[in-house]
Amino acid sequence: MHIGDVEAGAQLPVVALPITLQRLVIEAGANRDFSLIHHDASVARATGAPDAFANTYFLMGMFERLMRDWAGPRARIRKIGPLRMMIFNAVGDTVQFKGMVEAVDPVAGTVNLDMWVESARGKTVTAKAILELEG
Amino acid sequence: MSEPTWGLWGSWDDTQAMLGKQIGQSRGPDPVEQGSIRRWLEPKEFACEIHTDAAAAEAAGYDDLVAPASMVFTYAIAAYWQPGDAPARIDDEPTQIQIPVIFDVPAPCDKSFATSIEVEFFAPLYPGDEVTCTSKLVDIKHKELKVGKGAFLRQEDTYTKQTGEVVAVSYLDIFRFVAADQEAK
Repeated sequence: MHIGDVEAGAQLPVVALPITLQRLVIEAGANRDFSLIHHDASVARATGAPDAFANTYFLMGMFERLMRDWAGPRARIRKIGPLRMMIFNAVGDTVQFKGMVEAVDPVAGTVNLDMWVESARGKTVTAKAILELEG
Repeated sequence: MSEPTWGLWGSWDDTQAMLGKQIGQSRGPDPVEQGSIRRWLEPKEFACEIHTDAAAAEAAGYDDLVAPASMVFTYAIAAYWQPGDAPARIDDEPTQIQIPVIFDVPAPCDKSFATSIEVEFFAPLYPGDEVTCTSKLVDIKHKELKVGKGAFLRQEDTYTKQTGEVVAVSYLDIFRFVAADQEAK
């Protein structure tokens, strides 16, 4: 994708993913965050969560996928965040990663994105990002 | 199994004494390589050839197959066990992810949660790269929230390669607190 092809307000194609305990376990093994709240329902519930829930690195990585699916291989990811977690993304939830172009700077070649996660629980996470695109 | 703890205990003076100081450093045990990248892409159903194919990555302007930017965190996490460590026992406290601002900075708090993170990326990670994360406590903001009284602690993490090149810098905000119902007792 080229910077000239992008306009503020454009929507990124939605990425949906079901959160199962198996997926959380595969993810924990891959991203190395073995904190119990992310794979042990009883520990997660003791902290007030409905079940084991997605960790920060999982969410970061999914936002990276959302951007990469849209912007293609030549885009450079400059910044992700602030990423804010408001509601748990727990086992049994199907989460949808969504985003839109907030601003385009054709001189710098950068695009500011506004992204978020939705599930049946509501808007669970928000994240900003800055991408650099080709001229 | 004993209960996991949610922070190192101490006074607010102890917390203040750590401000501006290095509070931790971790080095990933494994260099960047294709297998760990594939296993990271798998649960995300993430298909992009720059992360799996060197020729595709080179065609997109990289020097080699490139790791996803947000994998930098993973490559800096220390081993959960390494040769020389004591054998595990069934009543050991489970190992949580090591976040220095929770586990190495004293505060009069027994609970914590992450509220926000931001990360800026400066250099790509290629196969063979090794990542070290150096953490500093850069801000303390006392606050009373619905869940309890405590403080937001901000941890700055600088991720560097074996060459010293900075790969990424992140800021993590953690709220350390005593639960409101505990405080009244």
